[in-house]
Amino acid sequence: MKKLLSIFLFGFCIIAAQEKEEVKKDSLHFEFEPDSLFLHIGETGEVTIKLLNQDGELANNPFYAYGRPRRALESKPRISDSTGIAKVTVKAYKPGKLSLSVRSISQKREDRIVDKMVIQVPYPPLEKIVFDDPQSKVYVGTAVNYSTTAYDQADLVRNNTEVTLTSSNSDIADFDMHGNLNANKSGKITITAAADDIVESVDVRVVKNPVRKVTLSAESDNIRTGDVLNFTAKTLSRSGKEVDGVPVRFSYSGKAEYGIGLPASGMLTAEGKFVAETPGLYAITAHSSGYSARKIIKVIPRNVQKRVQVVGHGTISDVNTSDLWVWPGIGQYKGKDFAVTGTWSANGEAYFWDVTDPSNMIIIDTITVDARTVNDVKVSEDGTVCVITREGASNRKNGFVVLDVRNPFDVKITAEFNDDMTGGVHNVFVFDNHVYAVNNGRKYDIINIEDPSNPFRVGRYELSTPGHGVHDVWVIDGLAYSSNWADGVHVVDVGGVKFSEKNRSKIQFNPFLAKAGQGSPGNPVKLGSMADRNGHNHAAFPFISQSTDKFYIVTGDEWGNQFGMAGGFHFLDFSDTDNPKESAVYQVPEAGSHNHWVHGDTLLASYYQGGLRIVDISGELLGDIYAQGREIAFFLSSDPDGFMSNRPNVWGTMPYKGLIYFSDMNNGLWAVKLEDDQTMGTR
Amino acid sequence: MKIIFHILLLFSVVTLNARDYYVYCTAESEDEVALIRFDGKKAYVEKRIPVGVWPVEIEGPHGITVSPDGDYWYLSMAHGLPFGHLYKYKTGSDEMVNRVELGLFPATMGISKATGLLYIVNFNLHGGHSEASTVSIVDPDEMIEIERVETGIMPHGSRLLNNGLRHYSVAMMSGELYEIDAMTMQLRRTMSTAPKKMKMNKMDHDKMKKGAMDKMKHKMPPEKPTWVYPHPNDKLVYVVNNGTDNVVEIDVDKWEVVRTFKTDKAPYNCEVSRDGKLLVVTYKGAAKTGVWNLETGKEIAKFKNTRKVTHGVVISPDSRFAFVSVEGIGKQPGAVEVFDLKKLEKVDIAEIGKQAGGIAFWKMVD
Repeated sequence: MKKLLSIFLFGFCIIAAQEKEEVKKDSLHFEFEPDSLFLHIGETGEVTIKLLNQDGELANNPFYAYGRPRRALESKPRISDSTGIAKVTVKAYKPGKLSLSVRSISQKREDRIVDKMVIQVPYPPLEKIVFDDPQSKVYVGTAVNYSTTAYDQADLVRNNTEVTLTSSNSDIADFDMHGNLNANKSGKITITAAADDIVESVDVRVVKNPVRKVTLSAESDNIRTGDVLNFTAKTLSRSGKEVDGVPVRFSYSGKAEYGIGLPASGMLTAEGKFVAETPGLYAITAHSSGYSARKIIKVIPRNVQKRVQVVGHGTISDVNTSDLWVWPGIGQYKGKDFAVTGTWSANGEAYFWDVTDPSNMIIIDTITVDARTVNDVKVSEDGTVCVITREGASNRKNGFVVLDVRNPFDVKITAEFNDDMTGGVHNVFVFDNHVYAVNNGRKYDIINIEDPSNPFRVGRYELSTPGHGVHDVWVIDGLAYSSNWADGVHVVDVGGVKFSEKNRSKIQFNPFLAKAGQGSPGNPVKLGSMADRNGHNHAAFPFISQSTDKFYIVTGDEWGNQFGMAGGFHFLDFSDTDNPKESAVYQVPEAGSHNHWVHGDTLLASYYQGGLRIVDISGELLGDIYAQGREIAFFLSSDPDGFMSNRPNVWGTMPYKGLIYFSDMNNGLWAVKLEDDQTMGTR
Repeated sequence: MKIIFHILLLFSVVTLNARDYYVYCTAESEDEVALIRFDGKKAYVEKRIPVGVWPVEIEGPHGITVSPDGDYWYLSMAHGLPFGHLYKYKTGSDEMVNRVELGLFPATMGISKATGLLYIVNFNLHGGHSEASTVSIVDPDEMIEIERVETGIMPHGSRLLNNGLRHYSVAMMSGELYEIDAMTMQLRRTMSTAPKKMKMNKMDHDKMKKGAMDKMKHKMPPEKPTWVYPHPNDKLVYVVNNGTDNVVEIDVDKWEVVRTFKTDKAPYNCEVSRDGKLLVVTYKGAAKTGVWNLETGKEIAKFKNTRKVTHGVVISPDSRFAFVSVEGIGKQPGAVEVFDLKKLEKVDIAEIGKQAGGIAFWKMVD
């Protein structure tokens, strides 16, 4: 009993001591002197920080101090002395609400005390405000929008600056809250943009408005969904003379052909370009100076849908499949057709197929290399050489492998190229005896394979932006189109085909070729680019519209979210290479985009879980392609015997001899065709 | 008294038999982390935890560690766009808590018992192997990168003294050991990891392949150290020289190599048992695992692994079992092989996802 009592008392003492200890821990706190700071960029300040106990005495416990965000606020020293006191010098490098964080040092997480003090670093003073292309003459009865750009003393654009616009005489013209100057009567005014103590002014003449009529015309009054109709509005005087420079606004209303709840939806640009997504009757109106004109347009269904017929399928059931390539045999195999597919997160294999009879495609050879993923496969234009990529090598020395495919029934490894490619080659392209290899996701290397057994590096293309990366590269006519995530698509001259009397053809509509001629594989020269603000740029394919001769680059996203893969294909109008614009997007809401191919005026889109998508991209492209009924067909490539049963996951696609070949990550190689008599294919 | 002794003995035996050991192991080419339970005889894969955010890209889970209190595990994801990340997961539920972007190919990491901060090397496997990389220092509570300390080219291995005051890492292409003051976050000392007598001029240049010297323009030392592990006494650290097939013992105070252990082909990782008696070394090139007696400096056992590319090792805190990760090749599953360090025999194997790599001990449960 005595022993039990002793044990009980001993236990009680331990618990009591622990509670006392916890009280002590809880009472530790930081004291900052001063308790806040205001610094300009480049300025330093001093803060004395103490870690105190409940009695206000130094806690005899060291702590850390560090500026946040990193690189915005430098702090020294990082650690206090052993008594719990630190005199910290801070230096501001970036503006904003920064903080000096502190954390006591202890073994147990629950013992750690954290705190922070705010350090306000104001943005540099404004330097100037600039009116963006302001109009100096405004007509009575119209509204003109004025916008400005503010720059600070660091010459950085300050998007968050609140700029106030005022008129010197609000009876003549006055601003609404959105920057629109509403002109009421004739006269001269000065409009002023002001922010902080910076002021910029522009003189504006408000003149009598001679407009007495607005007319509206279009090339047609009967279009299909997806067709872009250009409206022309004219402002006319009483005498019928056209008045220039008077702003015209467009609007539309409509009634959908089908259903009560379905809206008549479309897109109408400020320039008067209209595209409808749903069939129905639409009224397009042009407004100016209190006058308007209206035109009724009938929109009919695009009706491009076709059924897809499966021609052949080769099941891969034990591994994931990656990319594909299809090519015609040469030499003694002339007249036969072959395909190669890679494998993903598997055994480093590439499968070679005889697809001469696509309804009976069979694997005729397998090449195994030291890799887990053969992500990409490409065959040279002359059908002699195949290049496959290696990632996940057992010795971590990745790269690519050159294969002799003149006899696809007995493919031979010609050479491996691993030099400086440790991180892996994800994608390649073969063009004119050179391999363009995406190296480590950072750059692409250009390797000469004129002698396939002796490849050697001749060039390299790498961006200089912070945190840059590259995912894919595609080469056509001596121009390399690389996809660089946030840096978007880059067009690089690696030996661009110059125009001549002999090669006058549709390629003349590629404006980059007009600029080509400076670069070579050993000297890649950038010709143009367009950044991707979303950072999703994964693949790119140049597209000369056969119906309009316009030049686009079709870029594809790759990104995922909590629901799986997402993204779409973007149509970048590069007609003006220095000022590219995204004009349209094709995006399946419930699936994720991957590789793509443009054939004629048709987009073949690999859409992972959304299957294969075949899209009509003829004519001018504007707005939401998916909503416009431009989808010709989609095909969900289910296979109960696949690596993942009945779960389509389309990786890549390629047209060939009237068929559409594609690889499905979960089940292998497919050949399908549209049920019509139009021939598709490159040969 | 004799009866009590026998009861206690029986109790201890029952207790030992009932002990479960838990380790986490990464599968770099599967984007998975496996939780393995070992009951003293059999190893069970309790869970295969999918990691990363991209369902169709391999993000490469490489290094892993468990917080000293066992509440969280931390995982480096090597591949990014282009920068990799450090992920934080809750142990047990294995739910992701947070992540922070770091440098190129973040790899091995350790948490200081003194500072509570996490020190992780940015391996930068990518590129031309000519630029020095860094050790990132992260507050693992808030998942904020506090500092980066530049070390050498392709830094690897990241371990701290038992007292948490010094951090050690090596750099493969610099052939050096780096000591960082964990408190001040500053590089204190560096030294070559070459054994005392080994110098560059002893290399037989005639036997080198043509062109090999060109690649050594930046005087890349042959040692290619891949790992460093401190002795529990905090007086010694062991550096694995992957390129010259040896492990060197370095006296931390003298800051010099005091012993060299000639090993099998291409040693890669190592760990010293908590009792300080044994050193277990993985031989990546030989597909074997060696056990060394640190008192005699002799290799007392060498196990052939079940597949190629032996990778990491972690030893249970009771110094009884070594858990060795083996990558395998191609689509071969990765493996965690368990060795009894007392009986010096192989006990069991657990097969996990492809390219088993980083391995960390979580807990022992009686």
